[in-house]
Amino acid sequence: MEAYLLAIFITALVYVLLTLGLNFQYGFTGLINFGYVGFFALGAYASAICTARLGWPAWSGFLLGMVVPFFLAWPLGRIALRLRDDYLAIVTLGFSEVVRLVIINEKQLTNGGQGIAGVPKLFEFGGAGLGGDALLAAVLLLACTAVAWLVRCVVKSPYGRLIQAIRDDETALLALGKNPARFKTQVLMLGGAIAGLAGSFYAHYIGYVTPDQFLPIVTFQVWMAMIMGGVGRLRGAVAGAFLLLLVLEGSRAVRDLLPGLPEVAMSSIRLAVIGVALILFIRFRPQGLWGAPRD
Amino acid sequence: MTDSSTASLQLEARGIVLSYGDNVVLNELSLAVDTSQLTGLIGPNGAGKSTLFSVLSGFMKARAGEVFYLGRSFGRQPPEQRARQGLMRTFQVPREFRHLTVLENMLAAPWQQPGESLAALLLRRAHVRRVEAENTERAHEWLRFLRLDSVASTAAGQLSGGQKKLLELGRILMLQPRCVLLDEPYAGVNPVLIEQISERIRELHARGIGFVIVEHNLHALSRLVDRMLVMDRGRLLSEGSPEQVLADPLVQAAYMGA
Amino acid sequence: MDLIWSDYANLALNGLAEGLLMALPALAVTLVFGVARFPNAAVGDFVSLGSFGALAAHRASGGSTLAAALGGIGAGAAGTWLGWRLAFRPLLGRKGLAMLLTSIGVGFVLRAAMGLGLGHEIQLFDLPLLKAWRWGPLIMNPLDVLVGAMALVCVALVFALLRFTSVGRTMRAIADDMDLARVVGIDSRAAMARMWVLSGVVCGVAGLALGLKTQVSPEAGADVLLPAFAAAVVGGLGNPLGAVLGAVCLGILQELSTPFVGFTYKIALSYVAMLLVLLWRPQGLFGRVQGVR
Repeated sequence: MEAYLLAIFITALVYVLLTLGLNFQYGFTGLINFGYVGFFALGAYASAICTARLGWPAWSGFLLGMVVPFFLAWPLGRIALRLRDDYLAIVTLGFSEVVRLVIINEKQLTNGGQGIAGVPKLFEFGGAGLGGDALLAAVLLLACTAVAWLVRCVVKSPYGRLIQAIRDDETALLALGKNPARFKTQVLMLGGAIAGLAGSFYAHYIGYVTPDQFLPIVTFQVWMAMIMGGVGRLRGAVAGAFLLLLVLEGSRAVRDLLPGLPEVAMSSIRLAVIGVALILFIRFRPQGLWGAPRD
Repeated sequence: MTDSSTASLQLEARGIVLSYGDNVVLNELSLAVDTSQLTGLIGPNGAGKSTLFSVLSGFMKARAGEVFYLGRSFGRQPPEQRARQGLMRTFQVPREFRHLTVLENMLAAPWQQPGESLAALLLRRAHVRRVEAENTERAHEWLRFLRLDSVASTAAGQLSGGQKKLLELGRILMLQPRCVLLDEPYAGVNPVLIEQISERIRELHARGIGFVIVEHNLHALSRLVDRMLVMDRGRLLSEGSPEQVLADPLVQAAYMGA
Repeated sequence: MDLIWSDYANLALNGLAEGLLMALPALAVTLVFGVARFPNAAVGDFVSLGSFGALAAHRASGGSTLAAALGGIGAGAAGTWLGWRLAFRPLLGRKGLAMLLTSIGVGFVLRAAMGLGLGHEIQLFDLPLLKAWRWGPLIMNPLDVLVGAMALVCVALVFALLRFTSVGRTMRAIADDMDLARVVGIDSRAAMARMWVLSGVVCGVAGLALGLKTQVSPEAGADVLLPAFAAAVVGGLGNPLGAVLGAVCLGILQELSTPFVGFTYKIALSYVAMLLVLLWRPQGLFGRVQGVR
């Protein structure tokens, strides 16, 4: 039982990081990123390749796991600058799929569709090994707190005011002599690095990475978490992430109720649950469970 | 804040052509503005006045023609560069930063804020705080001038239409503008507030800021401006003092036919 | 690897076939964008639905292509109409992002329903084996010709509908300027419903084409979503001719690049091409510039 709860807790914390990063990009800056899972994948694979394939220490994976998405977000940002929302959504969605395509094809580096196994645990304790996971959870919790605090500091600063102005009305900002371009790119890069960090933790916890773990559904699970917790609310990131886990675990319970279903039906159920949740929340409660009705 | 060199600031449009699909919105439009005189721009609906503002400020690209400012052509400069040279505009439908407070709206305007650089936020915190305090002081002054100080902590999206328009002007005033294109400052504003807004504009003009004002409320506008330009169907139809222009039979016909 | 001109010609022919196949979902995306102002992310799944409908009709009728077409059209149109009534119409007036996210959700639900209800196994149309046609060094797969012809007919019919019928004119008026259309008295909701159904019809034909050329499965349609988006974006969202031309160009480009880029990366090429077009013209090749008035 403790193992199960710990697993939920760790997964939720990974989603907290992801939701913080996406909220920074969309909730506070208005950037519609439908390819967020791509940055998550880059971080996870960076850690997996560094540790499992190259035998380097874990911190190198964490570093690369943040640096690679950080810099890869730059060209994406430059291209996305002049794009309207719809086009930005499509371009970012395509980005994450191209990342997955590259992962599948560069077999030398990534072992292709089979994925990389044997990503070492961050902390090894004797015995049941639960101690190692518990320590991972503690470190992850620390990381979440640090990231949340940093994001909060930025959001409350003049920089944060500016990116919210970008979200509210870019045209007005141009009329005031300011070009949002640089800031949008920076936010994409920073948010990407946060997702990369989450990816590194994820890789070390699960122990293996495959391209199938980084399908677009993950991006929209993070969007769900962000919407449920409240777009533009930092505390919402925590609430939303845990709610998401509740929803996903609940869908597992659905499958348990129907014993005849094969394993592959699980992914369909998850898909259906996220889809229905998206439709219902957008229609009836777009401000999340706690927010006041906004635009 | 007086700057007497703006006394005869010239803003000029020469031969502007702009179509939207098959519709010719600006039809080889040429006009000149001497901002030492408060200038109004009127014309029936569809004459192209707001579109002209967009072209002057760089938000729309004309198919032909040039915009001259301070004697030099803007060329293809984007709107933010034109604003940096002191030519600013408001919008027909106000564009406030609706989730930010009124004060935050004002504080979002000033250029070269150290707090808008992540590096400075990290390394020069005292400097950031100091500049922020200075800007806040100035913002409050302007808010008092515009009679918006009572709503400084209100979310801008909750203001009335007239207040939003004043806030747009306030943001611009944080930047020491030289020429402001005001798009329908009186629209949806109650008559008492209209007179107050006119007062503010007169005061600002006395301080050396030029204004070109698009309005439909001809009565209020003619009491404010020294000079009027009339557009119709994408061209300049008439110009002169308010009395001359409003008595011009061509102008009256244009409004009747609209 | 040394290639001669006929190799390139054959690649181009393949590309033309691919492009025509992709033209249909791209057209479906752009039709919805015209009236609803958002790119419909559920198009891929409507295509899958159409392919299942076509397959069922094909089997039930003992192999009639016409029946398959009707089956696909019926399934696609029913799907999009239901989607419009249940999910999208209630959101009229909301921001584009709300519609976009809802379409993601609708796509997920549709895909899950097909997976749970119809199974994940890949199914194939039962077709007679046909020999390739040869014109000197040029090779053509008769299936490609059939699929290409189907696509062309469908595209031609849609264009004729839009251009020559009053229904089509109404839809185009709304796509051009919704506010103006309302002022002139056009009932936008009825016209929008028709556009959604038309988009579903196109998805149905696309489903049949896709199923014939490749396979029928709940995931097959979703795989064409990004190429369809890329084609519609390259042509300019909202421009039907642009979507078709965009798809054909991307298809040919993709195939011609295969000797240089490799088989598996050719899909990425559409994406890169889309990025390049957007860098140069953010509104697409034929899209309308959105000015600030």
